[in-house]
Amino acid sequence: MDSLITAAARALAAGDPLGALNQVALRDDAPALALRGIAMAQLDDFARAKALLRSAARAFGPRETVARARCVVAEAEIALASRDLGWSPKSLDAARAVLEARGDQVNAAHAQNIGIRRLLLLGQLEDVEHALAGINSTFYPPALKAAHELVLAGVAIRRLRTEAARAALIRAERDAQLAGIPALMAEVESAAVILGTPAARLLKNGTERLLLLKDVAALLESDALVVDACRHAIRGADTVVSLARRPVLFTLARLLGEAWPEDVSRDTLIARAFRTKFIDDSHRVRLRVEIGRLRKLLRTLTDVRATKRGFALVPRHAEEIVVLARPVEEKHGAVLALLADGASWSSSALALATGASQRSVQRALESLADADKVQSFGRGRTRRWMLPPVPGFTTILLLPASLPGS
Amino acid sequence: MKQSTAHIINEYGPFPNVDAVHGVTYDGAQIWFASGDRLNALDPASGKTLRTIDVTADAGTAFDGQHLFQITADRIQKIDPGSGRVVATIPAPEGSNSGLAWGEGALWVGQYRDRKIHEIDPQTGAILRTIESNRFVTGVTWVDEELWHGTWENDESDLRHIDARTGEVLEKIEMPPGVGISGLESDGRGQFFCGGGGSGKVRAIRRPV
Repeated sequence: MDSLITAAARALAAGDPLGALNQVALRDDAPALALRGIAMAQLDDFARAKALLRSAARAFGPRETVARARCVVAEAEIALASRDLGWSPKSLDAARAVLEARGDQVNAAHAQNIGIRRLLLLGQLEDVEHALAGINSTFYPPALKAAHELVLAGVAIRRLRTEAARAALIRAERDAQLAGIPALMAEVESAAVILGTPAARLLKNGTERLLLLKDVAALLESDALVVDACRHAIRGADTVVSLARRPVLFTLARLLGEAWPEDVSRDTLIARAFRTKFIDDSHRVRLRVEIGRLRKLLRTLTDVRATKRGFALVPRHAEEIVVLARPVEEKHGAVLALLADGASWSSSALALATGASQRSVQRALESLADADKVQSFGRGRTRRWMLPPVPGFTTILLLPASLPGS
Repeated sequence: MKQSTAHIINEYGPFPNVDAVHGVTYDGAQIWFASGDRLNALDPASGKTLRTIDVTADAGTAFDGQHLFQITADRIQKIDPGSGRVVATIPAPEGSNSGLAWGEGALWVGQYRDRKIHEIDPQTGAILRTIESNRFVTGVTWVDEELWHGTWENDESDLRHIDARTGEVLEKIEMPPGVGISGLESDGRGQFFCGGGGSGKVRAIRRPV
């Protein structure tokens, strides 16, 4: 409805943010501010983009509700792209309701997808699945469809449903190509890499081997009793005992699992689980107490039997016991796993996503930075962390059109 | 001031590969509408798209009886509808140009958020005079020596007949809630053709008598 705005929007849709800026760089009216913000976001200047979209939302009149709602959605997407997850989804939900009521179904669906992607990054899989259940994606345009399929693939990967993940990624690839957005195709491609990259390590009878995601799924389907060091749980055929909040018990279980069918000496168990070299009788008493607790928790899955020199696991139903570990065992694995998405994260977002305290995440980041495994930029509250750049890794931004009434 | 509610006679579209309808004009037989990367010729009787011209078409469209005029980013292109060739280009006024009309031997440019209508020299693009409106201006058209323009503000639209000298609003037709007007043209008789912006539709509205 305004030639320069339309021209700029057309440039943005074609993936040409500089062309878009060219059209509206000198204008400070609300739609121009919004488009400048979107262009800056596509150029990865998230701080500037956020400020521009905020001023655009202010500059639109109080009754230009649709345009303001689109600014809120765009701002939420920028927050997501910069892995700032601490925001409340309330204003996004409100914006989505406005767009839905005013018949802007595509942007309403886009807002919903952003909300779900935030939950997925936070690892709230049940909430994600609940939200996905109510979605009918048939009317989505290709770009939004691809983003939706990426969410489905993300859930399937985290749920170890590799066939479902592969199918979703194939659909996402087709939709991304239909949309013709290179960044989106790259995102699909990098998501697909996960399926062909070792996801875990199998430790069995003193041997080690790397597993793909589908092997992990097959292992968890099998009759083996799995000491899962990725999620700190013991998995039987149909029972899972989580020891995520019992680190000492998990360490004991893992030591016993790695040694199975052999036993492990008391001294080794004490030294590794209690992290001490000086062993006295109080440690032996404590070991007995902890083993008692472990025995009680695992009683349906395995016996923890005392031997002459220590303890050994004797499975009740399973034929073997294996240990599933991260592909590369290193300290602060959870933090590194999140950073592996290639985006920049705030330490508070990492704390939210890992469930650890912000202080301990900060300590982890500092020690990882000392080892050159992560890098940061910005300072204070705007400080962001990421892995050293991997070529070709992008973050999609499918920002909504910001034309009033369009 | 006369006031009424719009009576929609006909609705065309949405059309394949058209995200939004910008400018609209009428050459006596077919409706032309701008959709970003092209101009589309629509048969009002069948609702079919008869042909398209590949030319960037970001806002208002007008017809002077011989040529199409099309606002494209910061300029106005004069197009031969037969060959689709751009025969001349003039600069568009500075600002948020939206609507375009031909009338009184001049081009009339509606400016959206500037709430203005400029009369400009079709040879040079020079501004001859300016009419102020109190609403965001979308499409502009002349019919029987009456100047009409569309408005789209706060998610509401109406059609206004204004005094071309003073800008005074003489008549107003309100659009139903949620129905916006981007481009505007009359068929010279009893109908207005209105672009529907992001709805991707073109609507025919009865002109009150």
